[in-house]
Amino acid sequence: MRWAILAALPIGLLLLALYPMVATGYGIQFMLQLFMWVALAQSWNLISGLTGYVSFGHVAFFGTGAYGAAILVSKHAWHWVPASLMGGVAAVVLALIIGYPCLRLKGPYFAIAMLGLNEVMRVLVSYFEGLTGGGSGLSLPTLHASRQVYYGMGLAALAITGVAHILITSRVGLRFMTIREDEIAAEAMGINTARYKLFAFLLSAFVPGVVGGLYARDQGYIEPISVFPLLTTVTMIVMALFGGKGTIWGPVLGAVTLFIFQELVWARFLYLHQVLFGAIIVVVVLLMPKGILGILQERYRLPRWV
Amino acid sequence: MNVAITPTMIGQVIISGLLAGALYSMVALGLALIYGVMRVINIAHGTLLMLGAYTTFWWFRLLGINPYLSLLVALPLMFLLGMLLQRTLVTRVVDAPELSSLLLTFGISIALVNVAQLAFTSDVRSVEFLTGAFLVGPFALSKSRLVSFAFAVVITVLAFWFLQKTKLGKAIRATSQSSEVAMVCGINVQRIHLYAFGIASALAAAGGSLVAVIVAIQPEMGTVYTFKSFLVIVLGGAGNYPGALLGGMLLGLVEQLSSLFLTTQVSEAVAYVLLVLVLLLRPTGLLGGRAR
Amino acid sequence: MKILAHVSRRGIGPWAAALAVAVGVGSWSPPAAAQAPIKIGASLSLTGTYAALGQNQQRGYQLCAKHMNEKGGVLGRKIEFVLYDDQSQPATGVRLYEKLITQDKVDVVMGPYSSAITEAVANVTEKYKMPMVAPMASTTSIFKKGRKFAFMVQSPAEVYLEGLLDVAAKRGLKTAAFVYEDTLFPKATVTAPGGSVDIAKKKGLQVVFVEAYPKGNTDFSAIMTKLRAANPDVLGAATYFDDAVAITRQMKELNVNPKMYGVTVGGDLPTFYQLLGKNAEYVYGATQWEAELPYPGAQEFLAAHSREFPGVVISYHSAGGYGGCQVLVEAIKRAGSLDGEKIREAILKIDMNTVYGAFKVDADGFQVSHKMVMFQWQEGKKVIVWPDELAAGKARFPTPPWNQR
Repeated sequence: MRWAILAALPIGLLLLALYPMVATGYGIQFMLQLFMWVALAQSWNLISGLTGYVSFGHVAFFGTGAYGAAILVSKHAWHWVPASLMGGVAAVVLALIIGYPCLRLKGPYFAIAMLGLNEVMRVLVSYFEGLTGGGSGLSLPTLHASRQVYYGMGLAALAITGVAHILITSRVGLRFMTIREDEIAAEAMGINTARYKLFAFLLSAFVPGVVGGLYARDQGYIEPISVFPLLTTVTMIVMALFGGKGTIWGPVLGAVTLFIFQELVWARFLYLHQVLFGAIIVVVVLLMPKGILGILQERYRLPRWV
Repeated sequence: MNVAITPTMIGQVIISGLLAGALYSMVALGLALIYGVMRVINIAHGTLLMLGAYTTFWWFRLLGINPYLSLLVALPLMFLLGMLLQRTLVTRVVDAPELSSLLLTFGISIALVNVAQLAFTSDVRSVEFLTGAFLVGPFALSKSRLVSFAFAVVITVLAFWFLQKTKLGKAIRATSQSSEVAMVCGINVQRIHLYAFGIASALAAAGGSLVAVIVAIQPEMGTVYTFKSFLVIVLGGAGNYPGALLGGMLLGLVEQLSSLFLTTQVSEAVAYVLLVLVLLLRPTGLLGGRAR
Repeated sequence: MKILAHVSRRGIGPWAAALAVAVGVGSWSPPAAAQAPIKIGASLSLTGTYAALGQNQQRGYQLCAKHMNEKGGVLGRKIEFVLYDDQSQPATGVRLYEKLITQDKVDVVMGPYSSAITEAVANVTEKYKMPMVAPMASTTSIFKKGRKFAFMVQSPAEVYLEGLLDVAAKRGLKTAAFVYEDTLFPKATVTAPGGSVDIAKKKGLQVVFVEAYPKGNTDFSAIMTKLRAANPDVLGAATYFDDAVAITRQMKELNVNPKMYGVTVGGDLPTFYQLLGKNAEYVYGATQWEAELPYPGAQEFLAAHSREFPGVVISYHSAGGYGGCQVLVEAIKRAGSLDGEKIREAILKIDMNTVYGAFKVDADGFQVSHKMVMFQWQEGKKVIVWPDELAAGKARFPTPPWNQR
């Protein structure tokens, strides 16, 4: 079993790397977006799944990265790869500004603070319109880079999953989970919870920022409402929950299954699709709090690194 | 291009702020009840408000009579819905980690908002009942806002009377302070949870009904009220019911004043900055609440 | 749950299979056919914020296809629209146009609803050199970016309030104020070069107040308070529908009484009057098209529309969709082929009238001859009051204060 999984991984990666050679433009778009969701769900998992601090405004980092990269590309003629990385940096800075005060408090307050964050970011983007184009949005110079963005997104998804693996199987990960289970006890044990929470938070903000930058490059045009929508946060959360928060492959599983279903079935019915998402969240929280992977882990006693 | 700000203008926006503030207070009181009694953060609060607003809309659309009378329907209806939600879903996460209740109410909110989209369509609705204003000197008092303000005040006063003077109200307050002690005193805490959620839903729905006469009604209208209610609670102090009143009025004033001195766009961010500041500097709220 | 348990026992295999399916779905394209219909691809906002408007546009496209086919089609072939729902989201639109062009292999495309979505998908159509006639995009910047394959049908955002300001200046008004929603189109209407602020200044009006409000804003009290203090003679609001209604109501609530008040998008919909009732009287609105206008084929279009879609009120979105489709068909005829470059050259040379009005674009694809009109709500009816050559009645001027109505 272990060998099967270990062998499947590089083969799967090879297939994914070769895919753009045979795919249509649509196919590349499809997979690129899939990678994006894997990266987002996994990032959400890092803060909310591991430490238990629910981030309702995580799309704010995505949007910040999108704008950061878009501004660098369109106004300062940066190449989109370093620009996207800077988008990640911008997101981390935002996380620092918000996280430093808000993580010192307990869970509910953090959640409340995150709840309004995406709206505030929208307002800020509109306010600094000289820089961001405000409500008119921002256009990047035309460049057809779908294939490269595909690889970029793929790498981002891979990287964050790798980070998740390292964290979850390490002592650091254990400390995160201790904070989640009983924060007061964690503090009593001498864990500097504020520092660990902040670390997880910053880490969880970087990849959405990068991915946002890649997204901006791919779309060629962004505006505040399209990069700060609540639906993005909801989708991230549903994917991570459904697959299994707090696990390594749970968010990947959740992202892949839900995205494929969504594209093939639900996307035609926008509101029904969202009702389903809401219902899934409720069902997962009440009946399968560890998600699909969590159930599998318990049933088949899978090791923690799956 | 901007105008010079005169005292009259300041006076006008203070009036607007107070009129809005009463509604915020009433709705936030509901949220405070849920948090105080059950320690559940009800992200679906604004969604309940939205359902109240639609009740009023359909009442007016189908019956054509005074939309304020729809309160007689909206309040009991949402009270029952609230109890149903509590009994079937929320009660399971009351003793679970906060993550669960946050996610659960979040999920409920998303589901209900989109059910509303399907049922009512995202067409914007409005209730055109009272338009125009009473002109009092240099000030214009919007008729609809004034009447809604009056109702909000009455309902809030009733709610407070209930909490202070009735047996059930006192039981609720006792449970807010400490559910263990309340249980020891013989209070059926499960039932208190049920009633608290029901009352809170009714308060949110009342907010929706009153607001339906003023603003546009659409399925996503509730989200902003959820956030504002949280803001009010943080300002007033968690679990501090009179604090919710003060917080609501304060929020109304801050919003209007910042829209006046800055722009309407920025006032959204101002509310948020206020939240972060209060969380940083005085997390127990301006009037002091539970230290958390 | 049971299915998943089954799956996991067999390991990764089924997941690879699912992945293969996804890959397969992504790579499959239908076989080409000889005398098959000409496929025109588009995504429309059939659900989401713009649903009502997107559906109107859809009817325009469908009706045009029907009529063209009745007349024998184009190049001896019928035309057929391949339409998807972009849910009023630019990102979805982008994906769908990729799909239409690379997978469904459509021959030509037409535009979606709204400037924002058009801007986003124009990147895709430009990439594949697929000419796109975009009937529902009014933002100049989309067509002034060096794109070769995007063609504008409507009058640009900047001139939406031109009628209002023209009448204001002619009637001797002195001061103007503008409010606008902070998104692409309304913002361009007011603040872009050649937009309302510039037009006002050129006509000798003094601009005393300008403020933007966020999309989705419902409380205009502070803005109204400032407006009352600024006391402009004419107020122009660059809006969509919800805000147009809210602003009108709150003007009454806070007693703001300009001598002329006009909105841009939304004021022309019958629901505007239905919701506001008497409070909508005297409001001016800008429109790209009205049913009464004497454009060729307009009456037949109206009759056909009410036959095909009984009970549905006609709007400029349908007319625009129809007119845009007319232009595309004409271009294909003139080009004699479906080659993108040839169609493009043909469109650049077209100077024609459709049911929607005049159509002629400059070298960038920017519309230069379509004219907007301004109407005023009078006794529950829209009366076209500007420009003079198309006016059906006189403007009721000045707008009386709220407490005198």
